[in-house]
Amino acid sequence: MSITWQPVEPAYKTSLQIAVILDMGLLAIVGAVFYLWVPNTSWLPNALWLAIPWAVITLFLGLFWSSRRFQFTAYARTDASMYLRRGALWRLTRAVPLNRIQHVEVRQGLIERTLGLAHLTLYTAGSGGADLSIPGLKLATAEAMKAALVDAIATESSPVATETEEHV
Amino acid sequence: MSEQSTQPQLKWQRTPWLTLGFFIAKEIKLFIKNFTNFLPALAVIFVTDSAWVPYALGGSYLVYIFISALLNHRFFLFALSNDAVHLRTGVLGKKSLTLKYERIQQAELEQTWYFRPFNLTILKVDSAGSAGKEVEIPGLPMQQAQQLRQLMLATAPAVESEPGATTEATQAATAEEPQWQTQFNLAEIIKAGVIDNKIFVLLALLSYPLSQTDWLQEQMVPWLEANIGFIESSLWLNVGLVLAVLSLLFVLAIAVTVITYYDLAVSINGDRYQARSGLFSIRTVSFRYPKLQRVQIKQNIRARLLKRFRVRVSQLQPAMAQHTAGSSAFILPVVNPELLHELRQQLNLTNANQVHWQSISALALLSPTFWVAWLAPITCLIGYFAIELSLTSSFLIAVLLWGLMQTYVVFRWRNYGFSYDSTWLAVKHGVLGRTENWYPYYKIQQLDVYQSPWLRMLGFAHIIVHTAAGAEVIKYQSLASALQLQQQWIQQVGQNQQRWM
Repeated sequence: MSITWQPVEPAYKTSLQIAVILDMGLLAIVGAVFYLWVPNTSWLPNALWLAIPWAVITLFLGLFWSSRRFQFTAYARTDASMYLRRGALWRLTRAVPLNRIQHVEVRQGLIERTLGLAHLTLYTAGSGGADLSIPGLKLATAEAMKAALVDAIATESSPVATETEEHV
Repeated sequence: MSEQSTQPQLKWQRTPWLTLGFFIAKEIKLFIKNFTNFLPALAVIFVTDSAWVPYALGGSYLVYIFISALLNHRFFLFALSNDAVHLRTGVLGKKSLTLKYERIQQAELEQTWYFRPFNLTILKVDSAGSAGKEVEIPGLPMQQAQQLRQLMLATAPAVESEPGATTEATQAATAEEPQWQTQFNLAEIIKAGVIDNKIFVLLALLSYPLSQTDWLQEQMVPWLEANIGFIESSLWLNVGLVLAVLSLLFVLAIAVTVITYYDLAVSINGDRYQARSGLFSIRTVSFRYPKLQRVQIKQNIRARLLKRFRVRVSQLQPAMAQHTAGSSAFILPVVNPELLHELRQQLNLTNANQVHWQSISALALLSPTFWVAWLAPITCLIGYFAIELSLTSSFLIAVLLWGLMQTYVVFRWRNYGFSYDSTWLAVKHGVLGRTENWYPYYKIQQLDVYQSPWLRMLGFAHIIVHTAAGAEVIKYQSLASALQLQQQWIQQVGQNQQRWM
């Protein structure tokens, strides 16, 4: 049985790029504050020594990394499990069986909300935070997937419940 | 409270006066656990010049312990009904708790040394799950506690989903004689002490406070010089003295193990496994087979020389108990090969000589070999320039060190193996010691296939198996087979209807 991977929304790439710009911008501000306001800057290296690597990293993350990450990120749902691929250089394919899911959550961050995106997070019990979070979904898609999952989990556990009742 | 109105017949009881000791012990445990909170007070003791401050602080703390234990004892009320334990605790913030017997996962009796002479015991009750609660009722008479435990355990399996297990367990709970039983004699326990020697822990514990104060420098050394000056005259006496101290610590460490595991008795009753041991305080740990998360069979180098194994069974613990781990894990510290064989059968593990261990690709050696290869030139340079050894000797040392490390790397690769069949996933590893971990499939919570850039270049991937007992990595599988195994296993887990908590 092969699994069919579903790509995430192209807006996910934009959200990654915005996050990169925000993070790198914060770094740039910290650097600028240092160079402009610290009274004696003679002990610091020439500003270009920091600015050039900064620009290279920003370009790398903003152009190469975010598009690679967007390309690789995908999810798949089979009748008994949920799959997620993520990463760009370090790659992870995670699978969670549906009957191990404890609860399901749809979340929207600030950047995601402006782009109309959401992410769907599945929690498994006892794993202490390690779980599966599908980013870059349309809010409606995420809500629909959540409803479908909750449904599937409910029907999944019903045979167990009836069995117990019979037994008692 | 609604609970009171529906069950007006509840008889609230206070624990006997003797249990004050239990509450004091609890306060002291709390003190040790939150030790860092008291560091400012300790700092004051060290800094201050006045002689009375330490006594005042220590004294007020003792008074505090006594009063809070007294209050906690006053306000600890429990009631037992036919289907639940009710608790009302708390001095200022009140807490009321009802634990239904059918929700109880575990019920243990702990006979601590201060209750044993009075034939009293502590009943420990767990209701596992993600919001696990642990309840301790101290000072119950032995007989009553035993009856209560029987009642709880007889009710508990009703929530279990497997019909087979339920009937078996109910039968077992009513049966007097366990189906399988074994006893460990003192010689075996001493062997366990040799294997699991905590001498280094003891050394660290002793050396830390000594290193923190100047007491050793200021008092001990002059005293030694003055009184036993003859020590310095003989090197052999010095060596002998150190050896004597070390062997004393070694014996002490064995004694620690003997105190914990004295008279260890293991019984299997249906799906319930139980181990009872202890010289002063008798401790019982148990687990139920459906809750098993991992079986670990481990041998360190001493254990291999003595031909013994250490078997540890992990189960899902309530979140609170996890922090005090180790105390509640089911551990058999010394298991001989015959007993191991029998245990494997009882636990339904695959027969040792039928396990088909798969090794991993030799390319897994590349990365560690690369890093170890740096070792030789670096050692050589350090030896020559920093320590100023001669060129030949630094070269020889470098080659020797590199050879050792490289041999270790190769053996680690050679001894690594994994195996899977229809019910178990097993991983073994270890060079000097050996470890085998067995995981039942249906406890798998997540399966990852992981590729770093380096692994991608080679076309390999790691499989990471997450269970409630921790994660296990199966290294260096080809990407295709890793993804295929992932699908196959996840399918197997997804279709399994057994309870996994």
